[in-house]
Amino acid sequence: MAALLRGLRAGRLLRGLSSGKTVVAAPTSTTLQCSSLRRGFHCAALRLNDESKSDKHSASSSYSSSSSSSTTHDAYTSQQDFDPSSGDQEQDEEYETEEQLQARILTAALEFVPLHGWSMEAISAGAEAVGLSSASTGMFTNGAGDLVLHFISQCNSNLTEILAEQHNQVQLGQVEPKKTADFLRDAVETRLRMYIPYMESWPQAMSILLLPHNIPDSLKHLSTMVDDIWYYAGDRSTDMNWYTKRAVLTGLYNSTELVMLQDSSPDFQDTWTFLDNRIQDVTNMAVTAKQMQLTGEAVAQGLMGAAVTLKNLTGLNQKR
Amino acid sequence: MAASVRLLVRRLARLSHKKITSSAATVSCRPGCCLGPSSSRCISDTAEDRSTHFGFEKVPEAEKAKRVYKVFENVAQKYDVMNDAMSLGVHRLWKDMLLHVMHPQPGARLLDVAGGTGDISFRFLDYILYQQERRKRRAAASSQTPSWQDISDKYPTEDRPQESRAVVCDINKEMLKVGKQRADSMGITSGLSWVVGDAEELPFDDDQFDIYTIAFGIRNVTHIDQTLQEALRVLKPGGRFMCLEFSKVTNPVLAKLYDVYSFQVIPVLGEVIAGDWKSYQYLVESIRKFPDQEEFKGMIEDTGFFCVQYFNFTGGVVALHSGFKL
Repeated sequence: MAALLRGLRAGRLLRGLSSGKTVVAAPTSTTLQCSSLRRGFHCAALRLNDESKSDKHSASSSYSSSSSSSTTHDAYTSQQDFDPSSGDQEQDEEYETEEQLQARILTAALEFVPLHGWSMEAISAGAEAVGLSSASTGMFTNGAGDLVLHFISQCNSNLTEILAEQHNQVQLGQVEPKKTADFLRDAVETRLRMYIPYMESWPQAMSILLLPHNIPDSLKHLSTMVDDIWYYAGDRSTDMNWYTKRAVLTGLYNSTELVMLQDSSPDFQDTWTFLDNRIQDVTNMAVTAKQMQLTGEAVAQGLMGAAVTLKNLTGLNQKR
Repeated sequence: MAASVRLLVRRLARLSHKKITSSAATVSCRPGCCLGPSSSRCISDTAEDRSTHFGFEKVPEAEKAKRVYKVFENVAQKYDVMNDAMSLGVHRLWKDMLLHVMHPQPGARLLDVAGGTGDISFRFLDYILYQQERRKRRAAASSQTPSWQDISDKYPTEDRPQESRAVVCDINKEMLKVGKQRADSMGITSGLSWVVGDAEELPFDDDQFDIYTIAFGIRNVTHIDQTLQEALRVLKPGGRFMCLEFSKVTNPVLAKLYDVYSFQVIPVLGEVIAGDWKSYQYLVESIRKFPDQEEFKGMIEDTGFFCVQYFNFTGGVVALHSGFKL
């Protein structure tokens, strides 16, 4: 299931690339070429780094595939360098440049959230931090919603990285595999800890996520996160369990998040205790459900036996 | 009475005659003023040989600027009144929408090209002022008593890096004069400058402005692509280019009504209110000669702007194009 979602995500990216071609035309002037090249290399290096867009400024290994020019990678490390060459620009690099640039602005804007809240002021401060004019905030038609959704997707990618890392370690045999309950607990705790720097303004962010035009996106992020956690927990179910497990984890996550909002204990201890108790409840529920099923079967059998005995006693069971 | 009626009838006949002849001439006058295929002609032709459109007329490029100058010199005094009369006041809504989409942050610097009487700049300064007051009010509401920090912040500082500034640039001195008079009567003293300049060759350094607007002016320039390139030059990285202009109406019924209104009512209004039929004839003709929404969007993208999009107002009568210098 998660693999299917991953395929969908890749398909969405490809669709975005193809639709991006209608937005940006091929550049013609030389100044444009220089600046595009500069950004082209920057974004090419970024693209090579990761799909999850978390690590933006680290130097990457050699990039050899689609660019036809043979200039060095130094162009992307300093924004002032112009490295004119005769490489031809691909339209999908331009498209990613705009998105990557928006992502960069939003990441820079996150630093100003404690000061300005989740708002256009934070985004314009972020744009200025990146070196662009505050007018570039006009690119974000959804305003604060863009910022919050970007942050959520960043947290989700971080979580996926951490879970993948742990999974690798388990596969290599360095670490013992955790039990499902412990795994879920740790995953939810890791994910919720990412909110701690923004805890004061988190209620504002949650209310922004609940705005009608943001609900589809926020639900999508929530469902992909829950799906990722279950995937790395080892769930490969293909029946009703798939839905029940994800519904349970969603409820768990949302309730813990709400508790975290008004938790004032040191290091949010109360929240983690609450999380433990809820996971215990879920485990108990599973056990109880099993027991109830067995009991029910036993009771049904007992009743059947009693009915047959009665029929025998009253003589109704005889075949004439 | 009969003489004036005859005059009107003759003018209408001339106008319809012009329309028929100009539609044949459109094909020939296109290459003169657009980009791309004309590059080969640039080497051989001089400015006098290349021709462009002035309304439905075909004129040498060198002459167009002069004639446009004369048009606006004539209409300057009655420009605002005519705007209200022709658009029935709706132009105010269009300009308000431009500001709303722009959503300028405090500290932004605006260059209002072809700003003429300063409509956009006045709205810009108002918007910024309103935003700042709203923020102050919100801050005051959240804190009951002002702390020493708030009080010290209110003292005026030497340099105000966050001061918003608007520069109105126009090629026509008469329009700027009218604008200055308006500013004086409105009591705006700071944050506004008036500069005479040609949109195709702006008298500013590179990377100066956060926002560049040109409202109902770009169809009057001789070379649209040069204007766009100048816009790209003077904008800061991250700056926004916004162009409000009359465009193609999408709805066919509305288009027919709009045509009738443009060609039958507007020049008459021009004659009655401003005493100038020809200028307003030029105005409605120049609207027809301007490229439509998609084509103009392509031109903006070719110049090098990113995230280009347009918004239609009043069913396509007016379109707002916006692009970013990234």
